[in-house]
Amino acid sequence: MKTKIRELRKKLDMTQEKLAEKVNVTRQTINALEQGRYNPSLELSHKITKSLKQNKIEDVFELK
Amino acid sequence: MTSKPAMTKKGLISRYIFAFACILVGTILELMNVGKEFLGFWSVGSWLIFVGFFMIVMNVVTSMSRRKKIIDERMEKIGNKASRVTFVALVLTAFIIMVWDGISPITIPYALFMSHLISWMLVVYVVAYKILERKN
Repeated sequence: MKTKIRELRKKLDMTQEKLAEKVNVTRQTINALEQGRYNPSLELSHKITKSLKQNKIEDVFELK
Repeated sequence: MTSKPAMTKKGLISRYIFAFACILVGTILELMNVGKEFLGFWSVGSWLIFVGFFMIVMNVVTSMSRRKKIIDERMEKIGNKASRVTFVALVLTAFIIMVWDGISPITIPYALFMSHLISWMLVVYVVAYKILERKN
């Protein structure tokens, strides 16, 4: 899965730690998501989308 | 749930109950003079008392640690995969031991054998977890 987490996070001037804290996961999980090593659950995708101030999950995540 | 606390109150209480049960059983065995030398201790009872106290100390340290531990869905997934790997390793180990015992009978004490087996399983789990953590 391809994500735009890094770009959107940088736009909001947010660190990995901050995003991880917001969505209640570890920083390593955010890193794995950014590198496309891990496919998140629907719940986590939704939380990340909201934290990155996006409306649709598709705006953050896209299937390769 | 994306994450949950590393140890719940219920989990902590059950650990304390188990630790106290170990001490109680150990004391009873010690008073009744049951068992001989066991894993470097002079009896099974003394070993159980040691395990009980060790668990209490560990529980106190865990509950006192200020750092909030997070177990998220990724870690749970990795843990599940590592458990599966450990189970396969257990089956393979059992098979190898069975064949080995058929060739030349294993004569080490049962308690020592079990402690080796449990230690081996723990090592396999930790190694599998670390490898999977890097890949996932």
